Amino acid sequence: MEGEWILMVTAKAPSNISVIKYWGKRNEALILAVNESISITLDLNHLCTTTTVAVSPKFKKDRLWLNGKEMSLSSDRYQNCLREIRSRGDDFEDDEKGIKIMKVDWMRLHFHMASHNNFPTGTGLASSAAGFACLVFALAKLMNVKDDMSQLSTIARLGSGSACRGLHGGFVKWVLGTDKKNGKDSFSIQLEDEKHWEDLVVLIAVVSSQQKEISSAEGAPLTVATSPFLHYRAKEVVPKRIVEMERAIRSRDFTTFAKLTCADSNQFHATCLDTSPPLFYMNDTSHRIINCVEKLNRHEEVPQGAYTFDAGCNGFLFARDRKAAALLLRRLLYYFPPNPDTDLSSYILGDKSILKDAGLENIDDVEKLPVPPEIRDKVPAQRFRGNINYFICTRPGPGPVLLSDQGQALLDPVTGFPK
Amino acid sequence: MAGEWILTVTAQTPTNIAVIKYWGKRDESLILPVNDSISVTLDPEHLCTTTTVAVSPSFEQDRMWLNGEEISLSGGRFQSCLREIRARATDVENKEKGIKISKKDWEKLHLHIASFNNFPTAAGLASSAAGLACLVFALGKLMNVKEDHSQLSAIARQGSGSACRSLYGGFVKWIMGKEENGSDSLAVQLADEKHWDELVIIIAVVSSRQKETSSTSGMRESVETSLLLQHRAKEVVPKRILKMEEAIQNRDFASFAGLTCADSNQFHAVCLDTCPPIFYMNDTSHRIISCVEKWNRSEEAPQIAYTFDAGPNAVLIARNRKAASLLLQRLLYYFPPSADTNMNSYVLGDKSILKDAGIQGIDDVEALPPPPEIKDKIAAQKNRGEVSYFICTRPGRGPVVLSDESQALIDPKTGLPK
Repeated sequence: MEGEWILMVTAKAPSNISVIKYWGKRNEALILAVNESISITLDLNHLCTTTTVAVSPKFKKDRLWLNGKEMSLSSDRYQNCLREIRSRGDDFEDDEKGIKIMKVDWMRLHFHMASHNNFPTGTGLASSAAGFACLVFALAKLMNVKDDMSQLSTIARLGSGSACRGLHGGFVKWVLGTDKKNGKDSFSIQLEDEKHWEDLVVLIAVVSSQQKEISSAEGAPLTVATSPFLHYRAKEVVPKRIVEMERAIRSRDFTTFAKLTCADSNQFHATCLDTSPPLFYMNDTSHRIINCVEKLNRHEEVPQGAYTFDAGCNGFLFARDRKAAALLLRRLLYYFPPNPDTDLSSYILGDKSILKDAGLENIDDVEKLPVPPEIRDKVPAQRFRGNINYFICTRPGPGPVLLSDQGQALLDPVTGFPK
Repeated sequence: MAGEWILTVTAQTPTNIAVIKYWGKRDESLILPVNDSISVTLDPEHLCTTTTVAVSPSFEQDRMWLNGEEISLSGGRFQSCLREIRARATDVENKEKGIKISKKDWEKLHLHIASFNNFPTAAGLASSAAGLACLVFALGKLMNVKEDHSQLSAIARQGSGSACRSLYGGFVKWIMGKEENGSDSLAVQLADEKHWDELVIIIAVVSSRQKETSSTSGMRESVETSLLLQHRAKEVVPKRILKMEEAIQNRDFASFAGLTCADSNQFHAVCLDTCPPIFYMNDTSHRIISCVEKWNRSEEAPQIAYTFDAGPNAVLIARNRKAASLLLQRLLYYFPPSADTNMNSYVLGDKSILKDAGIQGIDDVEALPPPPEIKDKIAAQKNRGEVSYFICTRPGRGPVVLSDESQALIDPKTGLPK
């Protein structure tokens, strides 16, 4: 194809956090899981990936820039995604710009792609899930793909398992699929949208950690190969939990939701420990966060909070409602006050208004927090200053969206290169 | 019975460390486990309980002192042990002192018991196992009980599950048994302490302020709430027990290490799968595991096995003395002592291991290079003060009677602690 034109699309996609965990593949090449998983999509106003994809006859090859740095596209994950989405491209015509692309042209045209996370990488906030979801969504829009979100999720899945859950908002399930359809029947569906359970508040504790962890991609196969617990979990435990969790979500039963979420997070980490060599994702701070929530829950009549941890030490906490979130935040700030001279507004990110609900205006209020009543140990209550880098307060949120504002595009519309 | 006589017996019992773990009971009052377990008995020269038991018509009630402090004997565990051992007492005659006790006299006579651990209770080194085993063994001698060590172990078991394994030296298996009354749930010796005497054991006592969940309540919570526990007990442990017996029999360290580490980790996995989750290991424990795993995988064959009980302390088993000294170099590199620490109080037990490791003083510790298998800076970080001290020991013998009067903890004239 000839021409100097550049066609561009910019999209934003959310991150998601699983409450029934995915860990372990039964098929590495197609990224098919050993068990189903359920996740909550987080509000992309607080955590998101923005991706601009561009196509032009003058582009000589596919190129990708992530947070400003050029990345290799040679891995199977990228190649499989790009191949699949290309095969779904449809005819496209823009009379104004004089552009006419036929279905077959998509095989020969090249893409420039630029992606940016609004949260730092290496903080364990699942950037690859949001990244692949955004890439696939943006390319689908660019190429006039007619597939629905669930169908698109089978393509995102080829990039990263958890990415397939990022194509919907709200509460999402990644369906297992059979081994007979080449992965076409393993996709994500939306259980409920983001408005279904508006009371829920999400608090993320970004834990300070120097430890370099084994990536999920390396760790999960080790668990599959060596853990006697993993297959038992996948066959006997998870299927029941999936059914119970779906029910809890649909009926907004926080008590059951909390019980299942915490149990599944702990069992996932149990299988990591049951691996050879053992995988330690949580650290002492993660454990203290868990103890804090467990003690608070047992002190109240009904559970106020739930926790879950992915393959990292960050805590993802869910509060039953705003009041519970404020209570939980007061507890967390008691145990994990910021370093001195920290501005509270840089210690709580996202929905900072939660501080007002918690009655905390400044550092002094944090220092003056009373000892939680549920601590009965004779050992004086310890505070662990500096163990948490910061918190993010967010909520369940919508699926990927298109951005029409050219100002947010990450590629220059004239050159086709990162701005 | 009349008379002011006092009869005493003093015994010494080792502690033990499980390499295939016991966690979970199928009967709480009889202390019957959900799976078999296997342990290594540690050398009582370094870690032991000494117990003196005394009987006299002048004693008005059963009394016990532990590490100098009087404790209550009213708990079910003590009562079970005392009742069971008394039921097996036989006639005792001491012509020298003119004492004659008949079988049924034992029911009416009272006991004074004094016990002492040569290691701190807070060190989490299974003091109750050694303590109860010693109590049962000493009373067995005092009361002329005819039962063998396996049968005695069934009594000790009712005081504390892991205590039953301290009735033997070397390598011990606690058979879970099938009977409801627990008569077949007892310990047997797999091999004695001389069978594999190359093994060297280094214990890292980890500094921890945490008050931990007790084993008794922890394992009950696990039985009630962990879905993985039953699968472990039914499907995993039976196979591991057979493989472990074989590994011990054949002195196959690679298999021994693989099984020991895997079982320790799986036990802690069950704790994590409990509701609420139980965390016995901490970041220091994890660092020790990483250190061992990295080194093992960089060598042709594993050099060290690690295992952790219901606490953060590491029990590290080295394939031989050379491996133990190389291990100690690594541990001292990663966990140097706080400033002003005397090496003499940082490595206890068999301190000669320091010489093997080429360490004479603090300066040698500071001069240690990072282990060759470590490539990146973060992994080479030191964590000063995270380990309180180390103990170097080895597999050891079972309970013995001490005939030396000076080692008795009870005054033979007053019947009270010295």
